[in-house]
Amino acid sequence: MSGRWLTRIAAALLFVSLAASTLPRLIAIVNNARTLLPLPYEARRERQMGTWYASIEKLRRELPKKEQISLIAPPRDHDSAVFANYYLYPIRTRLFAGRNAYRNAAPDPTRPAIVVAVNASHAERTEYDVLRNRDLAAGRRIVTEPQLSAPMTAFILPLAASLDGPSPHTFLIEATLENPNATPAEVRVAFWPKGLIRTIVIPARTTKTYYDFVYQLFGIMNAGWMRVDSSQPLRAAFYFANRGRGEATLMPNATGDATRIAPAPLHRDTKLFVINTKDSRATVILNGESIPLDPHAFISRPSETLPKVSGDVYAFVTTRELDGRTDFLWPQ
Amino acid sequence: MIAVAVTLLLFPLVGLSLGRRSLAEAFLLGVGITGSVLFIAGVVHVPLVVAMVLIGAWGVGNGVWKLRRGIARPRIHSPLATIVMIIPLVALTFAAAITPLNDFDGRAFWALKAKGIAHERSIDGTFFHGGTHDPRNQYPIMIPLDGAVILSLSHSLDDRHLRWLYLAILAALALLVRERIGRLVSPAAGAWCAALLVWIPQFSVELEGGALSAYNDIAIAAFAAGAFFELLDAETRKSEIRFGLWLAFLVLTKSEGLPFALVFLAIGAFVFRKRIITPAVITFVATAALLVWRWRIPVGDEEDVFRLLPTIPEKLDRLGMAISAFPRHMLLMPRWGVFWIAVIIAAILAARIDRRAWLAIAMIASILAMYTAVYVTTAWIPSELIAVTADRLLMHAIAPSLFLLALATRRANGSA
Repeated sequence: MSGRWLTRIAAALLFVSLAASTLPRLIAIVNNARTLLPLPYEARRERQMGTWYASIEKLRRELPKKEQISLIAPPRDHDSAVFANYYLYPIRTRLFAGRNAYRNAAPDPTRPAIVVAVNASHAERTEYDVLRNRDLAAGRRIVTEPQLSAPMTAFILPLAASLDGPSPHTFLIEATLENPNATPAEVRVAFWPKGLIRTIVIPARTTKTYYDFVYQLFGIMNAGWMRVDSSQPLRAAFYFANRGRGEATLMPNATGDATRIAPAPLHRDTKLFVINTKDSRATVILNGESIPLDPHAFISRPSETLPKVSGDVYAFVTTRELDGRTDFLWPQ
Repeated sequence: MIAVAVTLLLFPLVGLSLGRRSLAEAFLLGVGITGSVLFIAGVVHVPLVVAMVLIGAWGVGNGVWKLRRGIARPRIHSPLATIVMIIPLVALTFAAAITPLNDFDGRAFWALKAKGIAHERSIDGTFFHGGTHDPRNQYPIMIPLDGAVILSLSHSLDDRHLRWLYLAILAALALLVRERIGRLVSPAAGAWCAALLVWIPQFSVELEGGALSAYNDIAIAAFAAGAFFELLDAETRKSEIRFGLWLAFLVLTKSEGLPFALVFLAIGAFVFRKRIITPAVITFVATAALLVWRWRIPVGDEEDVFRLLPTIPEKLDRLGMAISAFPRHMLLMPRWGVFWIAVIIAAILAARIDRRAWLAIAMIASILAMYTAVYVTTAWIPSELIAVTADRLLMHAIAPSLFLLALATRRANGSA
């Protein structure tokens, strides 16, 4: 066999080895193009990328064109955020790998206020609170066997909060309300000093649990105190929890004013909290200084030593141990 | 239609302004000149719109003037090879016209930069200063600048207008291979090499890095081909200037372009001898412009390979994995068929009969050695980096590889 024929055979073999892979894929590419041909261009992208791209198109219409937005994506969905960034341009974005990255950037004044959550299935404009609530709902409560109080119809929760510190500090109230009675209990919860009121119904012989009582009831991230009034005696347990650290402290269900705080070791970031639980003005005497308080007021003061408090108010102290745990000093 | 016209008319006309070249070479030169001139203009703060207008007017005027004097009519050798070459190009053109861009790097980095530049008419505006998320902020932007020209003239930031550019670069590379190997070896060899090129899956149909993506690896392969053929054609007039331009384009196209250009300069020094000064100066200017631009903008999450080089001694345990990376990928049939096996056999055959084969072998070996060193030094997980880049890096060595195939066929035919 001549060299020319050998060359031809070798070239043919080489070509066949290439075409064997290229030809079927080329046919698939052309067929795909044919199926896309009747569609408008954006619909072709939707066909390629599914509902994810449809959600991006919606965002493109909704978002302000000249404002930078925060793209928050779980680290596993980073690629989706990169593509969202691509398709949203010229809307400017800043990427945050997870909700914690966003909240840790809170001190940064340039952090964009508008939040878009992205994952592999869709992108949506949302609020930080909503993302936080989703994460909390998907997680587990810290306290699995709460210590319920004796049945009561009215009491005060001296501290009620739904707040974030730097990651992982996530402060919230884990609540358990048990109605041991044969009739449903109508429970009125007032959140002060915001003055928000919600009424919940707990059916007879039923227990209701909340992983983030303040947010679940009032839809806000804030701190204050609560008054609970029930039509039936309730057994209840409220824990002030730091979900990020897995810590929870049982809160007292207070029934009246109290200011006598027993001496205990103070650590760092010590704070005095004073509550006016009444509908009228009150006065607190703090280390000899008289301070007037508005109805339902909730104030806090940093303190180096255990303060001397008196007056027709409710007062307690918090102090943080070196390991970051918060200790509560309740009045007796 | 504007995008097609800009891609297929503006760039070749700009390329023709350098002198009478084949259409493919003129296109590639035009892509390179347009992007490089706009980049350097941006670095010295000439408004991009002004630079675009000037280069457009100069390129089109000069190109049309050259065209009036006539262009060489291409002769169609080997009709079968020509048809074989045209088939995938037609299919890809049909797909590019209809199918939206769907790759990773193209959207995440390159086309995004083109949009950013087109929108801001600047290469150091807020886009490059954290105004938006730009993951590889300091990647070279020559091709995105070409893309920005297309988007600007189309009055749109839609990436559908960029599809033609990437496909046209593959077509131009194939035609350049056809013309140059046709001249250096034989017309039939050139025609068949071009046909083989467009049937290589990694070039034609691979989602990441192929002609339907917006990666820049085909552009690197094309500019490397231009430089390689100038090395072989070193005796022709002004070849050292064109060689320098190809190297500048490499530097301004991708990060690996700079070490790639240095390899070319080192090998080119043996070929051009004293004339190597010209390409060295041109490469230096491009490199300096790139470094000045990078110095002005924040670093993204890209890797600085030069800074990592001193860490090689600590990472020698990776050497085995790095050395075996390319052979393993060369044998990936779905991406390369038996192409690399054929190239190795061709290299053995061609080295015996033609000294030019050694130039091609030196180029391929140097490129692979350089990339192997990158795999050793990288701060990424080497196995993951190899998995996503090895096939694309192999694309860069396509011109010398096809040249070896062509030389080997001549030997075989000659021995008949």
